[in-house]
Amino acid sequence: MTRVVVSGLGVVSPYGAGVKTFWAGLASGECAIRPLTVIDTAGFRSRIAAEVPAEVVGALGASRRRSRADRLALAAAREALADADLATRDRTDMALFVGAVGGGMLEGEGWYCEEALRLRPSPRIRALRSILPASHAEMLGWRLGLGGPRETVIMACASGAASIAFGADLIRSGATPLALAGGVDAITRICFMGFNALKLLDPEPCRPFDRGRRGMSIGEAAAFVVLEDSEHCRRRGGRTFGELLGAGVTTDAHHVTAPHPEGEGMIRAMREALAAAGREPGDIGYVNAHGTGTPQNDRVEALAMTRVFGEGRVLVSSTKSLVGHTMAAAGSVEAVATLLALQHGLIPPTANLIDPDPDVPFDCVAQTARPAEVRAALSNSFGFGGHNVSLIFGR
Amino acid sequence: MMSGRRVVITGMGSVSAAGAGGTAVVAEALERRPCTIAPLQAFDVDGCTSRLAAEVDEARFMALLDPDSVRRLSRICRMTLAACRLAVDEAGLEGGARLGLVVGSEFGDFRSGAEFFDGFLRRGPAGLSPMVFPSTVMNSMAAVVAIAIDAKASSVTLNQATVAGDLAVARAAALIAAGRAEAVVAGGVDELFSNVYLSLARLGALSPMGGDAPEGCRPYAPDHNGPVLGEGATFLVLEEREAARARGAAIHAEVLGAAWGAIPVAPHTAPAGRRDKRAIARRALGQAGVEAGSLARCYGSGNGDPALDDWEQRLLAADGVRDPESLAPLFGQHGGLGVLRVAAAALDARAGRAPALVHGIARGGCRTALVIGQAA
Repeated sequence: MTRVVVSGLGVVSPYGAGVKTFWAGLASGECAIRPLTVIDTAGFRSRIAAEVPAEVVGALGASRRRSRADRLALAAAREALADADLATRDRTDMALFVGAVGGGMLEGEGWYCEEALRLRPSPRIRALRSILPASHAEMLGWRLGLGGPRETVIMACASGAASIAFGADLIRSGATPLALAGGVDAITRICFMGFNALKLLDPEPCRPFDRGRRGMSIGEAAAFVVLEDSEHCRRRGGRTFGELLGAGVTTDAHHVTAPHPEGEGMIRAMREALAAAGREPGDIGYVNAHGTGTPQNDRVEALAMTRVFGEGRVLVSSTKSLVGHTMAAAGSVEAVATLLALQHGLIPPTANLIDPDPDVPFDCVAQTARPAEVRAALSNSFGFGGHNVSLIFGR
Repeated sequence: MMSGRRVVITGMGSVSAAGAGGTAVVAEALERRPCTIAPLQAFDVDGCTSRLAAEVDEARFMALLDPDSVRRLSRICRMTLAACRLAVDEAGLEGGARLGLVVGSEFGDFRSGAEFFDGFLRRGPAGLSPMVFPSTVMNSMAAVVAIAIDAKASSVTLNQATVAGDLAVARAAALIAAGRAEAVVAGGVDELFSNVYLSLARLGALSPMGGDAPEGCRPYAPDHNGPVLGEGATFLVLEEREAARARGAAIHAEVLGAAWGAIPVAPHTAPAGRRDKRAIARRALGQAGVEAGSLARCYGSGNGDPALDDWEQRLLAADGVRDPESLAPLFGQHGGLGVLRVAAAALDARAGRAPALVHGIARGGCRTALVIGQAA
């Protein structure tokens, strides 16, 4: 069976550009959730988010004519490819999987508001050319010269993780030895307003697994990994950050926005990933939880993890407490965090966790990163629509 | 990309301008070829340079649904649900942990997005509807259908211009090949919505593309001058062949080859001079063990966009395939069109014809090739 390794990483996060900056932020336990500036928040219950700082976006090196999300994606993808040190010819067959939801909606909203409020055509209509989520893949494929299979995967907040799972499947099928896979989302009005309308946002920075948690904090980011056939990587002398041992992708088929109350789909995703990886629950030392900070998600995810691993049998943390819920990018951001945790032997903490919820029977690594030599770790991503994706990485 | 497990087609359901129903309705539409492209009725196009579309009569798909149970669903979700139910019922398939779902769409549910946003513009934060927000995410159709058909394996939405349906079928075949599902309901959907239609017309993306020639859908013709939008949902049931046989399913056809890739060109462009180094159509034919010269037909994605039509013909010629046939004049350009091409090829196979190639190319370079033939 073809083994799939990760040979390149790239991230633009609320901490800034680059994997080193991302890891330094996670390791320090600094919460990057701050007052939101990119859109007007007047009148909303929550007015905070984990935003990529304006000076970081301005220095990304991509044209200001591109959408904000395109700029985040291009910078992260370029870093991942450079990190993998691939030859140009390797890109001819390289697949591209982009998890996306918002596309260039931020700019599209600007156009829509202008037309709706002024009741006349706006010259900013060209913003619509990059409004669709697929525009990221088109732009990345063109700028990076990627000629392999190209898919834009929309599975809500599990999109980035699903992209990695499907990219690995394609490599295992023999269709291509390389895939650039990940996700991107920029903050948009529609997303911010929607989660406010659903009353799912905490007015304060989110507190996953805390007894007093009141919701999530949205964020924005882009994260990509280079997935590679291990033999291909070995032959070309590439380095590896770890191995994608297995992935589970399931659906609740229960409710459009709420998880199955018993975590049935989550349990199947984690077990499917374990079976694909050929590992037992006891082999997993750390779970990077979906951990949004909403009362319902954290309770159900804890229940599902209990059924799979047993009470307290694994370290758990939520990096969303540090960089917010980055939507379509979350799965790939957290995949990178999981790989870095394995590499550095350090578990990123759950920020703002002061009063652990007794219904969450796990050590959730409160507030401070903790050294731990872990050989295999699992990253959970769940999304509206009942999507569940679990990825297992090994050192 | 077909490895190990063989994938067959065991059901189809379609809601299009040409009718709503299962295999018999699709076959009848392909045989009769009704004229479906007509002046738009659903919204006002005064002052717009484009006025044509292939519209779906809402009564047709609502007749297939229980009005009470779908009253909270958006129009595009209703279309998707109707088509998926038709396909699943025809295949006699049951849901569960081994049933997956793939939905391809170019535009998704923009109607709900606009409704949600308009609420804010009218009344501020108090005007935002928590009921509408979930539909603004493009996976809302998959979310609704997964519940309705109890699809608990991978449920995926793909966003792609022009070839969303083709790509959904290819992804479904890949999910089965990878062992992520035993059966997958796969297809494509789009709806006509005023904001999208009028914006595309303003951007010169629809026939007559700002020219003086008469508006119309004329793929591959010398006077082609742009696509005409359609709407609808078409879904197929794809199954692992041995599983389909074991449950005694009626098999229409087999996916003999599936390959997809991308030609790295600038977004929204279709440069006819750019070749495909990976020869996607030839790859799919190679998987199928079929010579280009022995194909019964090639169903191309030609939609009347001059740059795209010309590029497609050149790419196919480079892979040894000539004279593609388009179904766009029958159904209009929408996310379900690629699936209708696969359905047409499956019906050819069922009628005993030689394998057909279903080919797709989109501006921006996404390319698909599926070889559909009789199941061995």
